[in-house]
Amino acid sequence: MSIPGINVLDGKYMITMDLFPQQSKEFNQIHPFYQYLREGRFTTTKCKACGAEPFPPRMMCPECFSTDMEWIDWPTVGTVIDVTEEVVGVPLGFGRAPLVHALVDLQGKKTFFVRIINCKEGELKAGDQVKLSVFEVDPVPQEVGREVVEIPRVFYAFEPLK
Amino acid sequence: MERNVCVVAGGMSKWGVRDGSQRDFFQEAAKACYEDNPALNPKDIDGLLVASAYTERTSYQTHLAPLVAEYVGVKPKNICARVELLCASGSSAIILAFGLIKSGQADIVMVAGGEKLYTPQKWEIFYSELASVDHDWDGSQGLGLPPPVFAMVAKQHMKQYGTKKEHLAAVSVKNRRNSAKNPKAQFQNPVTMEEVMKARMIVAPLTLFDCCPITDGAAAIVLAVEDKARALTDKPLVYIRGTGQASLNNMSANMPSWTTWEALKIAANQAYTKAKVSPGDINVAMTHDCFTISEIIEMEDLGFCKKGEGGFFVADGQNDFGGKIPTNTDGGLLGCGHPFGGTGIRQGIEVARQLRGDAIQQVPNAALGLTHNLSGFIAAHTVLIYGREAV
Repeated sequence: MSIPGINVLDGKYMITMDLFPQQSKEFNQIHPFYQYLREGRFTTTKCKACGAEPFPPRMMCPECFSTDMEWIDWPTVGTVIDVTEEVVGVPLGFGRAPLVHALVDLQGKKTFFVRIINCKEGELKAGDQVKLSVFEVDPVPQEVGREVVEIPRVFYAFEPLK
Repeated sequence: MERNVCVVAGGMSKWGVRDGSQRDFFQEAAKACYEDNPALNPKDIDGLLVASAYTERTSYQTHLAPLVAEYVGVKPKNICARVELLCASGSSAIILAFGLIKSGQADIVMVAGGEKLYTPQKWEIFYSELASVDHDWDGSQGLGLPPPVFAMVAKQHMKQYGTKKEHLAAVSVKNRRNSAKNPKAQFQNPVTMEEVMKARMIVAPLTLFDCCPITDGAAAIVLAVEDKARALTDKPLVYIRGTGQASLNNMSANMPSWTTWEALKIAANQAYTKAKVSPGDINVAMTHDCFTISEIIEMEDLGFCKKGEGGFFVADGQNDFGGKIPTNTDGGLLGCGHPFGGTGIRQGIEVARQLRGDAIQQVPNAALGLTHNLSGFIAAHTVLIYGREAV
């Protein structure tokens, strides 16, 4: 028997549950971050009033509360402080074990705990350099007027700099 | 006149991988709570706070408090709402109930918390937990389920302070031994040091028994203003003396330190100050042992031992019975399990029993007890101090 609507057990469940952020302008006012990501740029917002560079990028400065923010580029290469490799319990959508994460010093801007891709088990160690890696993820079927349009999405991880 | 707030009853459902629904577990918890104090008439309860984090996701149910009220037979008239702070939802609700009673907005408030986390396909909760952290920035890095986060904490703590894998294992052995004596706990069997050391790897250095499980279940506690509490029980009264809850960051990139939990120090200081006690005065503690490394850092940042000595402190038995601060005497998260909204309430119930003198494993003459939860990506800390005397 077929069930009307999306059959949640037929490969659509992932999209319904939103593994990655909504990135279209209708659903996210920091959508330029994802546009820049497509260009290989890692950006955040800088406060024009006080010079703060908060991450994640946002609409309002958390230091002086100005809403006069501009987009700036941050480094796309960082240095590994330490590494973890998850061998059991990798969430659906993140590939096969191990799921590698590293604590990465992004040239003094922030210390990020990020996913590392294109990296073999045991390959990465403290002191290694990693670079931004952008990949396509599941598009979102979004209603535009009476049509349903597939909105493409990207996301980022880091990968060993070879 | 100062209105003091006391615990008058508490009870839990059986915790574990359970048959049943969220609403079933709330009834089981309420029944156990009513049986704990037959003098309490549930119809006199004038407020209900319900703690649940994943109710919308795994039970497809929002507007939960009136539903729980209907099922457990209470008719609140001063407050009837849900509270959510993930792993600290329960203790957050206790703090709010305390404030409502203290300020005169309510007299007798039930705080009930729980979750049905396992769905017909068990993988779903692992996936849903991507919402537990900043979804857009940390969840999307695959960091919803916390083992990688606490593995990194453990690695940094080991590097910085010489903490050893055996130190982590000592926490697990202690808490599983305690849970084996607690019939409501998820795990009914103890584990040996050898079993813990040889257990299968999850994220190095964390192996299976370093991690708390995913759990179904609920717990309920009733707080009352002192004069009503006195009329309801002949047992020693247990007072809430002080509370603190702090957050300094949410996304991981904004964490001040991975090995010193600054927000915990702030929350603890607030609670100690309001309770007019110091760490050395506390006789028993329930701390958030979601991972073994967590309990070690909590010993340090709650002020029970010096910074960096937590691993050696637990390995020396200093947070076990007979030591400086018996901790997680009912089995903690590692032994009882962790249905998010229920955990802070379970801790409150165990501390109340310790202070009343009727715990399953009693700390002799316990007069001051502490509970602690962390929540999210180590993003908030919640501390309560209970005592046999008012402040």
